[in-house]
Amino acid sequence: MAALFRTLKAASGGSLRCLVSAHRNQISKVERSFRVAAVLRLSDESKQEETPPHYSSSYHKHYQASAPEPETEFKNTSYAHQSGEQEEDYETEEQLQHKILTAALEFVPKYGWSVDAIAEGAKTLNLSGAAAGMFNNGAGDLILHFVMQCNSDLSDILSEKHKQIQLGQIEPLKTDKFLREAVETRLRMLIPYIDSWPQAMSILLLPHNVPESLKHLSTLIDDIWYYAGDRSTDLNWYTRRAALTGIYNTTELVMVQDSSPDFEETWKFLENRVNDVMNMAHTAKKVQSTGEAVVQGLMGAAVTLRNLAGMNQRR
Amino acid sequence: MGLPTNLPRIEQFVASRFFCICSHYYGRGSRQRQQVQHTSLRAYNVVPPARDSTEKAMMDRMLRVDHAGEYGANRIYAGQMAVLRRTSTAALIEHMWDQEKQHLKTFIELMAENRVRPTILMPFWNVAGFALGAGSALLGKEAAMACTVAIEETISEHYNSQIRELMEEDPERYKDLLELIKTFRDEEMEHHDIGLEQDAEMAPVFWLLKNTIQAGCKAAIFLSERF
Repeated sequence: MAALFRTLKAASGGSLRCLVSAHRNQISKVERSFRVAAVLRLSDESKQEETPPHYSSSYHKHYQASAPEPETEFKNTSYAHQSGEQEEDYETEEQLQHKILTAALEFVPKYGWSVDAIAEGAKTLNLSGAAAGMFNNGAGDLILHFVMQCNSDLSDILSEKHKQIQLGQIEPLKTDKFLREAVETRLRMLIPYIDSWPQAMSILLLPHNVPESLKHLSTLIDDIWYYAGDRSTDLNWYTRRAALTGIYNTTELVMVQDSSPDFEETWKFLENRVNDVMNMAHTAKKVQSTGEAVVQGLMGAAVTLRNLAGMNQRR
Repeated sequence: MGLPTNLPRIEQFVASRFFCICSHYYGRGSRQRQQVQHTSLRAYNVVPPARDSTEKAMMDRMLRVDHAGEYGANRIYAGQMAVLRRTSTAALIEHMWDQEKQHLKTFIELMAENRVRPTILMPFWNVAGFALGAGSALLGKEAAMACTVAIEETISEHYNSQIRELMEEDPERYKDLLELIKTFRDEEMEHHDIGLEQDAEMAPVFWLLKNTIQAGCKAAIFLSERF
């Protein structure tokens, strides 16, 4: 895989750039960039005599080398242009994917959540746009990456606050205020992409994306409740998470069609929903204590009747 | 609970059942919420932090089923006490119940520290455990002891298989957790022996009681591990 991406980088730096784009158009739905490299190799063999002499020998050496050896001549031409970028020879595929997707996010406002945005992101890393073919799920991968990134950012923010509270630097918040702040912080991360977010939401609803998006959602909600102080080990664990999931999803839906300045309506809606849930919990507690009092009253009445009837004496 | 203790036994039994159902759904959670920002009373975590998702899944499963088991055992002893409160075996059952309460407290702490999801069948174990305890006690003191013997035997076997699983994985890494489970297993065996001493085998259709209860217990363990 590492040799593959070096190939792609080499290709983009040389005269084969036009060949890459030509072949990319032909194989627009290529599943793996391996196929792209194979095609490049074929085209290179056919066009060997046409390439300028000072490139051909290096390409020959590059393609024929079975073990990935750093070609110093090549390194100077391609790496010299990348000022400040690190050596990527031994990067894992996951790290590279992460980098490409992060770079792709800045093109989302222009290209939407699509493979084009990923291709543009790959280009900023001096990779061929065909590198977008490495993502089987296309736009879904980009969105899930974004969601995962936001969730981990929120988790960092919450754990930082939690540490400060434990050190006594700031006061702990009441539960409803904490939930409101956490959900608002997380939803504010969507603001730069809010115009295209309905498209992202609909892509996340596709059947093959649903399991992973649900997993991210449940991790997010669990994190928020954990830092809000929930340590329950009974059915409350489930009811609380279900309630917060409902709050988060409905607030997200309100946010995408909110046009008020700085989304004031959305935060008001969030406040109302959180208050609703708190009221329900208080009402449930009141019902329980009323129930207890009623049962006590009935028991007392039963005992009185038994006493009156003389049935309570031990003979 | 705030119940007048001079009520006749049956009324108290009914009232406490009602309170237990209500408080378990709503009261306990909010009471636990008051303990918001406390760290554990112990200075260290018995369970080592998970290195990857498979280890986390294994730990979650083990803690979840142990917590559910101790919770169920608590409810069973509560049921037995509710029926046998005024008899001579009350003191013994109280002693065994106190030890189970300690076990449950430990597992609740471990669950909270390791952010483990509790089993969704908790309300069911609440009712089923109490019903089993009270039902067996209504059949007589020997039947209650037979129920204890059956449950404790299954739980000891279950702890033994967990000990074996942890030993196969990495005895050094799970040293503290293994100590804990071994202590609990020894106490459960002690309850089993007490039950036998108290003429459990004289219970009506002892073999039927024992086997049904053990089958139910094994099903509960299977379900709690997954759900």
